[in-house]
Amino acid sequence: MNANPRFLACGFVACRRQGGGALAGMLHVLLLLVVIGQVVYLASRHRLRFDLTQDQLYSLSSATRRLLGDLQQRLVIEAYFSPKDDLPTAVQTQQGTANVRETRAVLDGFLDELVQLGRGKVVVQRLNPNDDKDIADQCTRLGIKPLDLRTGSTTSVQLNRHWQGLRLLYGGSRQRVLEQIAPPNSYLAEAVLTPAIKEVLTEKKRKFGYMEWPVQAQAQPGQPPQGIGWNVVRTAETVSRRYEFQNYKDDEAPLLPAECDTLFLFRPKDLTDRQKYVLDQFVLRGGNLIVFADGSEYQIGQKRTFQSTPLAWDAADSQLRFDAQLQHYGIDLRKKVIADFAPDATSARQMMAPYEYYCLATMQGAMPVQYPYFFHPVGGDWASTAKQLAKGDAEREALFQKTLRPGIDTEEGLFGVFKKTARGPGFYWPTWVDLRRKLDAVDLPANVTGRVLLWSSPLTLIEDPPANLDPMGSGDPNQQIQYFRNTFQAPLMKRLEGEPRRQAPLMVEVKGTFTSFFSERERPKRPAEIKEEEAKKKAAEEAAAKDPLTEPVKDAPDAPVAKVDEQGPPPPKTDDQGDAVPKVVPEADKVVQGTAPGRIVVIGDSDFIRDDFVNQSYARLGGPWSIVGRDFFTLLLDWVAQDRDLAELASRIPTDRTLKFLEPVAGGTEDPRAAEQRLDRKMRMLLATNVFLPCAVLLLIGLLVFLARRAQKRSFLDAIGN
Amino acid sequence: MRESLVIFRRELKSYFLSPIAYVVGVLFLIVQMGFAGFFCLIDRAQARMDGFFTLLPFVLVLFLPGLTMRLWAEERKVGTLELLMTFPVRIGALVVGKFLAVMAFLAVVLLFTLVLPMMLTVYGSLDWSPVIGGYLASLLMAGAFVAVGMVWSSVTRDQIVAMLLALVSLALLLGIGVTWFLDLIGITRGLPDLVDWLGMPRTIGIAALDVCAAISPYRYFESVARGVIDTRDLVYYACFCGFFLWLNALVLHGRRQKG
Repeated sequence: MNANPRFLACGFVACRRQGGGALAGMLHVLLLLVVIGQVVYLASRHRLRFDLTQDQLYSLSSATRRLLGDLQQRLVIEAYFSPKDDLPTAVQTQQGTANVRETRAVLDGFLDELVQLGRGKVVVQRLNPNDDKDIADQCTRLGIKPLDLRTGSTTSVQLNRHWQGLRLLYGGSRQRVLEQIAPPNSYLAEAVLTPAIKEVLTEKKRKFGYMEWPVQAQAQPGQPPQGIGWNVVRTAETVSRRYEFQNYKDDEAPLLPAECDTLFLFRPKDLTDRQKYVLDQFVLRGGNLIVFADGSEYQIGQKRTFQSTPLAWDAADSQLRFDAQLQHYGIDLRKKVIADFAPDATSARQMMAPYEYYCLATMQGAMPVQYPYFFHPVGGDWASTAKQLAKGDAEREALFQKTLRPGIDTEEGLFGVFKKTARGPGFYWPTWVDLRRKLDAVDLPANVTGRVLLWSSPLTLIEDPPANLDPMGSGDPNQQIQYFRNTFQAPLMKRLEGEPRRQAPLMVEVKGTFTSFFSERERPKRPAEIKEEEAKKKAAEEAAAKDPLTEPVKDAPDAPVAKVDEQGPPPPKTDDQGDAVPKVVPEADKVVQGTAPGRIVVIGDSDFIRDDFVNQSYARLGGPWSIVGRDFFTLLLDWVAQDRDLAELASRIPTDRTLKFLEPVAGGTEDPRAAEQRLDRKMRMLLATNVFLPCAVLLLIGLLVFLARRAQKRSFLDAIGN
Repeated sequence: MRESLVIFRRELKSYFLSPIAYVVGVLFLIVQMGFAGFFCLIDRAQARMDGFFTLLPFVLVLFLPGLTMRLWAEERKVGTLELLMTFPVRIGALVVGKFLAVMAFLAVVLLFTLVLPMMLTVYGSLDWSPVIGGYLASLLMAGAFVAVGMVWSSVTRDQIVAMLLALVSLALLLGIGVTWFLDLIGITRGLPDLVDWLGMPRTIGIAALDVCAAISPYRYFESVARGVIDTRDLVYYACFCGFFLWLNALVLHGRRQKG
C-alpha cells in the first residue's frame, strides 16, 4: 500500500466533483495495479524458496547441484515440446488416469530450476515440432517419440500428436536424447534428468573388468531357461550407458592392465593358482576386487526341483586355496549356507510380487512359503530386540545388546535406498563371509581396515551345504504342501530347536595396503610359459644329444622372451611348427608389498544377480525373482566408481508413510472377511470422529458461551429489578 | 495499531457471542471434514493431507462470502457505519481491524480441523511440515478471499447482494487458476479459438490464459500448500490483500467524504 487512501480518495472525490471522478479513480486503481504487478514480477525473478518437506521432495538434490556447479562448458537442453495448452489433462493409461499437462508443468519448473542453478552454463531451447516440419523431422532423426493421445467427450474423439522429449548437448560433441519424458513430480524428473546430465558430462565410459564362471545351460524344450551367467545386470541400459565391461578371464594373459581398476568375480570356482596370483597382484597394485561368492551351487531344474552341484573354489591341480588367500587379506569366506528364519526376512518386497523369494503357484494364485534360504537382511537395529530374544535371561540380554548388529550396518549411500525401506537386497542360498577374527575379535592384517556391511537376523541357522534344499518336491499343489510341511519344514524346525542361531555376515569390505599372498611362494607360471620352458629344455636336451660338448642352453628369467606380433593375423601353422615354442607376453614383476591402497568387497551370494533370477524366469512358477538385484548391482557400480552423485540420487526415495488402520491379530492368521469387517468398522469410526468430534467441541464451546451469556443477562436483569 | 486492535476485539467478540460463528463453523467443519475424510483416511494409502487442502479453497469460496457479507453491509443497514465514521479512528485501522477479526475467526475454525492430521499421525507417520505449509497457505488464501468479500460488502447495503457478488467473484478468481476447471468448461481451447476467430494470433489467447492463471490465488496456494515457502507467493498474497484492503478503504473514504 504505497498510496495514501485518504489522499487518493480526496482526489477521487474532488475529481468527481469536477466531472471526471470515475476516470481519475480508475486511473489510481490501474496505477496501483501496475505497481503491484511489477512488485510480484520482481518477486518472482528474485525469490527464495524453503522446502519444508522432510524428504526435501521439491528441491534439487545436492547431487544435481554439484553436477551443475562442476559444469565446464555450456549444457544446452533442447526441449522438443508441443504447446502446453494443447496437452490433455486426463489421459487413460495402463496405470490409470494421467495428467499429461501436469507433467509439463513439472518439467518446466525443473528446467527453470536447472537454468537458475546453472548460472549461465545451462541453456534451455524450446522447439515446437508441431509448428515446424523441419523440427518434427529432426525429432524423428534424433529418436524423439511423439505422444499420440486420444481425448474425447461424449460426442467426439480426437487423436492429437504431442511432443515432450529432450536432447542434452554438452561441449558440442556429446549428447543424450530422452525420447519421451513425463514425470509426475519433480522427484522423478530429477531421477531421470540428473543421470542423463551425468552421462553427457562423462567423457568416456568407465571400464570394469570381470571374470565369470557361468552356470551350465541346461534348458530343456518348454522349460524356463536356466542360469547362464550374469549378462542381464551387466548389459542393462542404465549400466551399459556409463560402464564398459571386459572379460579378463584368460590364463595366458599377463597381469591385469593398469586401466582396469575394478574387477568383478562372478561366482568364482575352479580357480587356478595363476588366476589367484593375478588377483593378488591386482589388489596389491591398488585394484578394487568385488567378489560375488557362493559356498555351494544350487540350480533350479526340471519341474522346479532344486539341484545341488558341488562347487569347488579351487581347480583340481591348484596348490593354493582361495579361502586361504582371502584369509590372508582379512576375509573369512566359508562354505556354509545361511538360512534366516526371521519372518520379516522372507516376506516379499511387493504385495503384488509374492514370488520374490518363494511361493507355491496354485490355481488361486501365489501362496507365499517361508523358505529361509531366500531372504533379505532386515534393516533396523537388532540390539533393540535383545530383551525379546533373551526371553528373560538378563545375562543373555546384555550379551545380545552388546553383540547384535543392525541388518544394514553402514551409512554408505549404497544402502541409502535400502535403509529407507528397512530391507537389504534379497539373497538366495547365501554363504558366510566375515572379517578374519581371532577369539571373536576382528584380526585384520597391518595397514588394512575392514567392516561388515550386511548381517542376517539373529534367527539364522548356519550349516554345511546340504545336498538337497528342495522345499516342495514335485506333484500337485497339495502334494507339494505335504512335502513342504513333512519333509522340508518339520526336520528344519526340529533342528532349529536344537542348534544355535546367530547373525551371519553377508557382505564385507576390507581396504588398505595388502601384502602378497605369494610373497613366500613362487610366481605361478602361465601355461604358455610352462610350455615354453619345456620346449626350451627339450631343445637343449636335443642339442646336447647332438653335440655332447655343447653346454645346455640356460633358460629361465634371463632368457630373452619372444615378442608378440601384434599386427595382422598369426602366420599359418605349418606341419613342422606343431611343437613350436609358444610366444609369451611379458608381464610385470611380482610385487610383494602393496604399492597402492586396494579394496576387496565380498558378497556372500551371486545368485541374486544371476540372469535367471533377475529376468523373472521363475516368476510364473512361484519364484524366485530378484526384484532389486539389478538395482543393487547398479548402485554397487556407482559406489565402486565413487559416483556419489548417482548413488545419492538413487537413495532419494520418499519415506514410506503408509496408513495402517489395523494391527495384525496375534498369531498371524485371520479370516479375510473378518479382517475386512474389522477394517470397515474402524473406518466408519474414524470418519465419524473426523467430522463429529470438531463439531461437537465447537458446539460445546457455543453452548458454554450461551449459558454464560444467559447467566450474565439474568444477573443484570436481577440487578435492575432489585 | 491500537485502533485496529480495538476494532479487532470488538468484531471477534461479536462473532463468538452470536450464534453465527457456531453455525458457520459447524457447517464448514461438516462439509470440509466430511469430504476430506474420504480423501485422506484410506487404509494402506500414504498419510498425506493433500485431499484436505485440495478441497479447502472450494469450501472457503462457499463459506467466506457468508462471513464477509455482514462486515460493512450490516453496519450500513443498522446505521452504525455513520457512527463508526464519526469516531476518531482512521478508516485504514477500521478495515484492518475487521479483516484481522475474520482471519482470527477462520484460524480458530481451522484449528478444529487439526483432528484429521492428528489421526493421520496416529495411524501413519505424517510429515507435519507440509501440513504447516498447507495451513499457512489456507490462511493466506482465506485472507485474499476475505479482502475481496469486504470490498463487496462495502459497496452495497444489501447483505445478500454482497454475498452473491463475493461468491461469483471468488469463484471466478479461483476458477481461472484451476486447470481442470478451465478444461471442463472449455476455456482452455475456446479462448485461443475465439482469439483466432477474431483474427488475432492464437498466442494472445494462450497468453491471456497464462495471465489469468498468474492472477488467481489458487496457483500460489498450491505452491505453499505442498510445503514449499516461496517469497514470490508471500509477496503475491501480501500485494493481493493489500490492494483489496486499500480499495475497501478507498470506498469507505469516498463514502465518508460524500457524507
